[in-house]
Amino acid sequence: MATELSGPHVEQIFDRRKDATDALAQDAERVGRACYDMARRFDAGGKLVCFGNGSAAADAAHIAVEFEHPVIMGKRALPAMSLANDAATLSGIIRRGGFDDSFAASLRLHAGAHDIALGISTDGECRNVARGLAAARDAGLLTVALVGGDGGEVGRTPGLDHVLIARSTDPQVAKEVHVTTYHVLWELVHVFFEQPGVLDPAVVP
Amino acid sequence: MSSGLESLYPFIYAGSSDLDAVLDEVRRSTTDKVGEISRLRGEVLKTYRDALADCATAMARSFEAGGRLFAFGNGGSSTDAQAVAELFENPTPPARPLPATALAADVAALTALANDVSFEVIFSRTLAANGRAGDIALGLSTSGGSANVVRGLQEASRRGMLTIGLAGYDGGKMAEADVIEHLFVMPSASVHRIQEAQTTTYHALWELTHLALS
Repeated sequence: MATELSGPHVEQIFDRRKDATDALAQDAERVGRACYDMARRFDAGGKLVCFGNGSAAADAAHIAVEFEHPVIMGKRALPAMSLANDAATLSGIIRRGGFDDSFAASLRLHAGAHDIALGISTDGECRNVARGLAAARDAGLLTVALVGGDGGEVGRTPGLDHVLIARSTDPQVAKEVHVTTYHVLWELVHVFFEQPGVLDPAVVP
Repeated sequence: MSSGLESLYPFIYAGSSDLDAVLDEVRRSTTDKVGEISRLRGEVLKTYRDALADCATAMARSFEAGGRLFAFGNGGSSTDAQAVAELFENPTPPARPLPATALAADVAALTALANDVSFEVIFSRTLAANGRAGDIALGLSTSGGSANVVRGLQEASRRGMLTIGLAGYDGGKMAEADVIEHLFVMPSASVHRIQEAQTTTYHALWELTHLALS
């Protein structure tokens, strides 16, 4: 091995997280608005449908279990699913219909107008995530995108309700910001549930 | 907006529970959580700076000698195991792909073992079947108390694999088991912050492994 690892190598890696993490605090208003809209959809009986590729597919599964099986006792279990969990179905859909429409195809089967679509892509350059969100938008779902970098193709998709951008071009750093973001999304959706008056249609701004 | 509604919903709107106040609370909560994870990462760095370098050096040696990585955990940690496997197998170029598997992604083996034997053996039995001396076992548990993760690491140790554990709180059973060569405990009582710090930790291990291999 050519490189002898030392403390400064580790410090440099941890330091690289700081700016993007702090930047999430600047987006607290956007995060809160997304949570509010999500809480209203759940309250009206909607479910959460998540999707992403690679590591973001793991995030989609993580988000689904977060909502279905709350880590904090006493919180409501909420309906959620990932479109990327079943390798047999997903690879079958891709083989017949191509990669770019893979999530849009599943979404049309599993989701309705009252649901929430959450697409995840660390650089935003995932065409199947962009098309999944576009299909969701066209079907009347609430659309939420977790992206990074400059938002990419996903972030440029017109008419999405909430685009939350992790302020990093490093895919690992962007993922870490996403993990914090969806943990916060889960927790704050429940804050709205604890104040049911704000979910009343009469209150919606 | 809130004054008229307060008369309609006198109980719900008692105190701070109008929409603007809730949104304020939500904003503050987000900012607080960002502060918490930044501080926690700082503590992990301070505690494990040299240990992370040592662990990645051992991982690089294993891969160089033909070792493979097996990652495992439950729930959210099972998705972290998948993210680890995907990161090692399918990295952004020019980093070279390295063999890695997430044990819980094999739903057939997982459900067969859980049904036929017990949930506690789902990782130890698959490691007994697939693991070889010189391979790497990476077990993740936010509490440190997952019995199947501890059993998996015990089996890995018995087989001469490099054993790595990511835990939280005070390390739980993973801290008591003396079979884990490299144990990283995220000192927090929040499952969410622990998972976030663990994500940074395995990203750092991946990056350091490639640095050592370069």
